[in-house]
Amino acid sequence: MEKQMKTTKEILHEKLSGQPRSPLYSPQALEAIRRTVGQWMNSTVRETDRNHWHKTPHTVLGSETPRELLYTPLSHPDLDYEQDLGNSGQAPFTRGIHANMYRGREFTMRQLTGFGSPEQTNERLRFMLDHGATGLNILFDLPTIQMYDSDDPFAVAQVGMSGVCVDSVEDMARLFKDVPLDEVTISIVTHYPSNTAILFPMFLALAEERGIPWENLRGSVQNDITLEELIRSGSEYIPPRDCFRIQCDNIEFIRKNVPKWNFITINGYNLREFGTSAITEMAVALSNGIEILDELVRRGYDVDSTADRLAFFWSTANDFFEEIARIRAVRRLWYKIVKYRFNAANPRAMLMRCHVQTSGVCLIQEEPRNNIIRAAYHALAAVLGGAQSLHVDSYDEAYSVPTEEAALLSLRTQQILQKETGVTDVVDPLGGSFFLEALTHDIEGRILDEMEEIERLGGYVKAIEGGQIYSKVASYFAEQQRLIENGEIALVGQNVYKSEVEGPPINVFRYPEGVEAEQKARLQKLRLNRDSDKVQSSLSALKDACLKGENILPYSVACARVRCTEGELFKVFKDAFGLWKPPALF
Amino acid sequence: MTKKIKVLLSKLGLDVHNRGIITVAKMLSNAGMEVVYLGNALPEEIVSVAIQEDVDVVGVSSLGGAHLSLGSLLLKEAEDKGLKDRVAFLMGGVFGPSDGQRLREIGFDRVFLPGSTSEQIVSGIRGLV
Repeated sequence: MEKQMKTTKEILHEKLSGQPRSPLYSPQALEAIRRTVGQWMNSTVRETDRNHWHKTPHTVLGSETPRELLYTPLSHPDLDYEQDLGNSGQAPFTRGIHANMYRGREFTMRQLTGFGSPEQTNERLRFMLDHGATGLNILFDLPTIQMYDSDDPFAVAQVGMSGVCVDSVEDMARLFKDVPLDEVTISIVTHYPSNTAILFPMFLALAEERGIPWENLRGSVQNDITLEELIRSGSEYIPPRDCFRIQCDNIEFIRKNVPKWNFITINGYNLREFGTSAITEMAVALSNGIEILDELVRRGYDVDSTADRLAFFWSTANDFFEEIARIRAVRRLWYKIVKYRFNAANPRAMLMRCHVQTSGVCLIQEEPRNNIIRAAYHALAAVLGGAQSLHVDSYDEAYSVPTEEAALLSLRTQQILQKETGVTDVVDPLGGSFFLEALTHDIEGRILDEMEEIERLGGYVKAIEGGQIYSKVASYFAEQQRLIENGEIALVGQNVYKSEVEGPPINVFRYPEGVEAEQKARLQKLRLNRDSDKVQSSLSALKDACLKGENILPYSVACARVRCTEGELFKVFKDAFGLWKPPALF
Repeated sequence: MTKKIKVLLSKLGLDVHNRGIITVAKMLSNAGMEVVYLGNALPEEIVSVAIQEDVDVVGVSSLGGAHLSLGSLLLKEAEDKGLKDRVAFLMGGVFGPSDGQRLREIGFDRVFLPGSTSEQIVSGIRGLV
């Protein structure tokens, strides 16, 4: 892995510090403001407020970035409109990636769906489409995510529980029955690079069998090393370096063969929900992005044609303005990275597109209906930040997978934002706010500083291997727990304003039963009815590709076609790469 | 000097959400208990390690919906191996009070819902041993 000698922060400083700036506020104006603010401070502001001018907010998953009592032009005195903000759809894209933003295209309402058997999920998918969902977001059960077949001993009692089970291309076909694959955008939440390399080929094989050309498919896979190596808790991990290679194999293959497909959703969300701050979430994701682009350049691809399909996945939590500022900050920063670190020329390659999901960790079990309000604020922050697509968590998720009623309410939360509040009429409506611009600037600097820490460790993959990111996570969530228990992080209904009155009970989703037996019987039938010579030869060709360093995707597509199961492919990976033991968090 | 309470903690099955159980592991070790953290495991392994380590308490965490299904397999395994009456079994994770109630009915000694505090968990365990 070739490493740049300079850190991203150093490169940006070098390339940007020499550029002439034209600050919005004239020195004379700032001088006058300085005087009036000084007078106001001494005459009107109480002494306690003067002495505690900065307040550190404690919130679930927050960054604890201090806040002033009042923001003025002095908070960010050298703000330059052209260089720091620009118009929407123009560099540095702080204000949005499209000129007309939601007037041109509303954010996609992409609610997660998945439980039980492929047929049960198919029914819910069509329910969501019938009620105006504009995209699909498929969630798999634990055995599928962890790459075990439904009849594996590890899968016992978990088949179809918190997602849909898929073992082979035949389950893919059941899952997407009567869903026009080339008309709906489909997000396949594969989580890991390894299972992206297993499940997405099944989807491609299904498209082939339906006569749909791959170039007509639109959607995304997750395909993120962070999920597989950092957040996951599992029994069997392949080493981070091999996982990173599979991540890049997926990207390379999809880029070439499925041109409209987003080949990675660089994940911040799950890492943050697991236990990192608002800043670390983005620093880690951007570090992964940098490492991916470095690797693809090494494989002979240019950044201009690679980066234009990268997408990111962020969470929005309780600190309302921080969430808006973060999304704007990271859009600006990613632009600078692609332009100045990778010397890209194609503006599309510099866009930070993102899907946002509202925070699940922020939802609590006490008085669950309050979660409706929490999620609505999270969703509003995502929209004011300029997200491309959105999933709103359901109020009952502190109990279970959402019921149909709760899932519909989440969709309605989005529709009310779009149709009733007017927040999508004006692009970047908070741009220019003294507070928001200062916060955006502050957060951008903090993300860059954390990226520098990762780069000094030798880059993202090394920081996983060395366990440093693990320890960061562990200490962050221990601290969060402490703040919640001592009441510094306030949670209404849990540690403040606790109600003595028991609210009306809510309906809780009943996990489907009997899926496991049905799925086992199907697998048995599948194994009897397929050509086992073809299965064996496809699997061994895949193993050779793993060992030789060839791109493995063509081989896993071949496996999908001949009805290999997910567990069979995972076994090949384990045999080829060996297992890795992540550092213990306890 | 009383003997340290020894607790085996594990994620039940393949569930990936391990933030809660790690938080609890630290909590109990700060409270002076001896904690063995197993990571992800199935009932059979949990019970065999519990016997091997001679623990007082087994605590499992489930946020993936398999609390009842895997939970009952765990208790059955404990019963079969003669461990159920010697060791206290606890469950924590994401499920509602009514499932919490059902977990108690099938034989878990204590159940902790989301939002349980260190104090509740630590004193809950001390009350059982």
